[in-house]
Amino acid sequence: MAAKEKRRIAVTGIGMVTPVGNTTEETWSALLAGKSGAGQIESFDASGFSTTIGAEVKNFDRESAVPDKKLLKFASRSHAFALAAAAEALADAGIAPTPEDSHRWGLTVGAGMMSVAYDDLKVIHDYATDENGYFNADGLLDPNFPGNPVNFCRWQSNAGLGLLTKQFGIRGYATSVHTACASGGQAIGSALKAMRRGQCDRMLAGGFDSMLNPIGISGFCLLGALSTDNDNPTGASRPFDKTRNGFVLGEGAGFLVLEDWDLAKARGANIYAELAGDGNSLSCYRITDSPPDGNGPIQAILQALGDAGVGIDEIDYINAHGTSTQMNDRSECAAMKAVFPDRIQSEIRVSSTKSSMGHLIAAAGAVEAAVCCLAIRDGIAPINANHGETDPDCDVNLVLGEAKPGKVRAALSNSLGFGGSNSSLVFRNPEEVSA
Amino acid sequence: MKNASEKIVFTGSGIVCGAGATVNDIWAVLESGETAIGPYSQWQGDNWPVKIAAEVKESNRNLVSDRKLHKTISRTDMYGIYAAEKAIENSGVLAHRDALAEEKQDAFNDRTGLIVGSGGGNYTSNYDYLPLITEAKGELHDFGKELSNQVTPMWLLKNLPNNVLCHVGIRGQLKGTNACITNQCASGIMAVAESASAIWNGEADRIVAAGHDSPFEPEMVYYYHKLGLMSSEAPKPFDKDRSGTVFGEGAASVVLEREADAKARGAEILGEFLGFGCCSEATGILDLSPDGDGVQRAIEQALDDAELSPSDIGMICAHGNGTPASDLTESIGIRTVFGDAIPPLTGFKWAYGHLIGASGIADLVMTLEALKRGVLPGIGTLDEVDPEIGDFPAAKEAGKPTSQNALVICRGFGGMNVVVAVRV
Repeated sequence: MAAKEKRRIAVTGIGMVTPVGNTTEETWSALLAGKSGAGQIESFDASGFSTTIGAEVKNFDRESAVPDKKLLKFASRSHAFALAAAAEALADAGIAPTPEDSHRWGLTVGAGMMSVAYDDLKVIHDYATDENGYFNADGLLDPNFPGNPVNFCRWQSNAGLGLLTKQFGIRGYATSVHTACASGGQAIGSALKAMRRGQCDRMLAGGFDSMLNPIGISGFCLLGALSTDNDNPTGASRPFDKTRNGFVLGEGAGFLVLEDWDLAKARGANIYAELAGDGNSLSCYRITDSPPDGNGPIQAILQALGDAGVGIDEIDYINAHGTSTQMNDRSECAAMKAVFPDRIQSEIRVSSTKSSMGHLIAAAGAVEAAVCCLAIRDGIAPINANHGETDPDCDVNLVLGEAKPGKVRAALSNSLGFGGSNSSLVFRNPEEVSA
Repeated sequence: MKNASEKIVFTGSGIVCGAGATVNDIWAVLESGETAIGPYSQWQGDNWPVKIAAEVKESNRNLVSDRKLHKTISRTDMYGIYAAEKAIENSGVLAHRDALAEEKQDAFNDRTGLIVGSGGGNYTSNYDYLPLITEAKGELHDFGKELSNQVTPMWLLKNLPNNVLCHVGIRGQLKGTNACITNQCASGIMAVAESASAIWNGEADRIVAAGHDSPFEPEMVYYYHKLGLMSSEAPKPFDKDRSGTVFGEGAASVVLEREADAKARGAEILGEFLGFGCCSEATGILDLSPDGDGVQRAIEQALDDAELSPSDIGMICAHGNGTPASDLTESIGIRTVFGDAIPPLTGFKWAYGHLIGASGIADLVMTLEALKRGVLPGIGTLDEVDPEIGDFPAAKEAGKPTSQNALVICRGFGGMNVVVAVRV
């Protein structure tokens, strides 16, 4: 098959709102220092739940983050994170859609679970249940029922997409995906593909989520997926550690500005990295469990490398999915060892930044893709924090103790979702891009 | 978009909605001119301003025979699994795999993709927490304490937006490229467009595309009604008396592969995917551009991608949801592209309601059937085209497509417009 030259795509802007910082640089310096964003949950009374800890975004000022008051009214907590991170990414790139080129700008988002706000559910409860708490539809017809269409709009599956396209005037290709924890990675992969097939010249791509609310956290508590180290919040997320016992739920958003390489060069843009390859597979094993032999994640990593034309000896940093659950970490390590048998225990630096930030669910893949770009820019790998004793099955070359400097020629970001969707992205150092 | 000369074809389809659970049953409804919308049964509608919907009549057991699965999925997932597995069966792709030598089957699975458009979530699933709120007397501390005594540990799994992707994938071992698209009304049709793009891009050899949704539930009806989007009678697309849409529920699915592969395995070909367009109007969640900007651009993109000119199109399946603003702006966008030569135009929501996330892909499946039969079904509820829309060829009675090429238009919240071009 005659290989057609692939259109080259540059990352020229980054924006982040995370539990360790409300801007890219704040987040990045916290990750290099291995600072934890976890603590006792403060945004609601979590004292009765089996897990009382989480990694919350702190001191986030909705009003200043989203100047458009009308838009802000429709924005959920995670939408506000998204609008703020996307604005930062565009400002960082120094470019934004104009009326002349807005139809050539696209948007892809990994959108969070549409979990309803507890307060909204409480209103339904108060108007529309019988004495045992079972739903009674006619209660909604009570003239005093305060059902507000704004809440309804906020809850629609592509509400984030609608707010972002409006805020920034993006009139081209736009889509929203949700494959649980793989969402953010898949959104960036979808953007790469849409640009390569010529649908857009520039795109905003990322993810956002906030499940740190009573209904959001309930689902994970019921499943027993969260760490219950309630007396040690900052040490609870410890990917690849022998004693790990679940993930720490985080929240936030991450966005990249993607541009046609030649257009970015022509305007003298700062290029963080080339978004070089995307891989995407379905494990088809079990809904929550990960395949112990890495069958599934392996295919995603290999596809991403193949798509990027990057060899296994060129990857210098892997931002692992590393949730800190027993099964996931083991499965991912099996996959990494299968793909990089000679270098994964010595040369390739590996870290899960969930050790600091917690698990940002649908935003995780997008934020971690941004981390890969920053690792390339600064030639340094962030810390896999909170590490005691390595699980013998997870004996990969973890970045322990302090951030590890050294050129990153290419970086890999893995995202492995509930339901078995696996996303891998490969980023190449711009110095490694031959003209 | 198209970047190769290889033709992509449809080799299987599956569908379920209020009008039936097979293409033939639903076709019969479209031809009869009698809507499948009627009084609903999910709750007592006597006091409600809207008393009708197009509900799926099939029992869970008829949709998914594995009863163990029923405990771990929601009703919308049943529709999606049913349609996807019918499409797979109809295409014969997995039967073809199973006849391969065992050592070739793993590679086949890795090259078989699955892309699902999902409604995203629903309100009623959250009602599982209501008895807990009663028990906890509204105290969050007690809510947390009693959580595991009141709510099933499987709650989250039952309500994952990507459940159809997981289960159809596991059951069929479809291990290749995948996505779960949560783009409101555009979800299902985008699954088809992304599938064709992925095959053209060499990511997979064949992909099952599906879309499913069950928007019909009390809170959805309440809010749609409050926003003035809901009619109390079957929708009347493009009619002067149209007053809103009505919900349906269901799912549809198609299998896409290269024409050469389909022919090599002797599969029946249902039609060809020619191209698509997708754009946002950047108007926010609900608002529509008054000049039909997004409809126009999505049609132009689709024609360009399909390498067709407007005069090549012999049929349009419009979004036609029956709301005053959407139908009007859709007609303006269509007219901007086609001028006075708009091809024969129909739409199906009058018959099986608005399936939201599944609407575009259901319309696509039925458009392929219309082209195959050479019959353009009329809009059974249309009496008189709105004078504000002007001279517009929305079909009242059955007619004929004027060529083998059709456009399917799908619009959604977020200012989304997606148009797919197909041929039989």
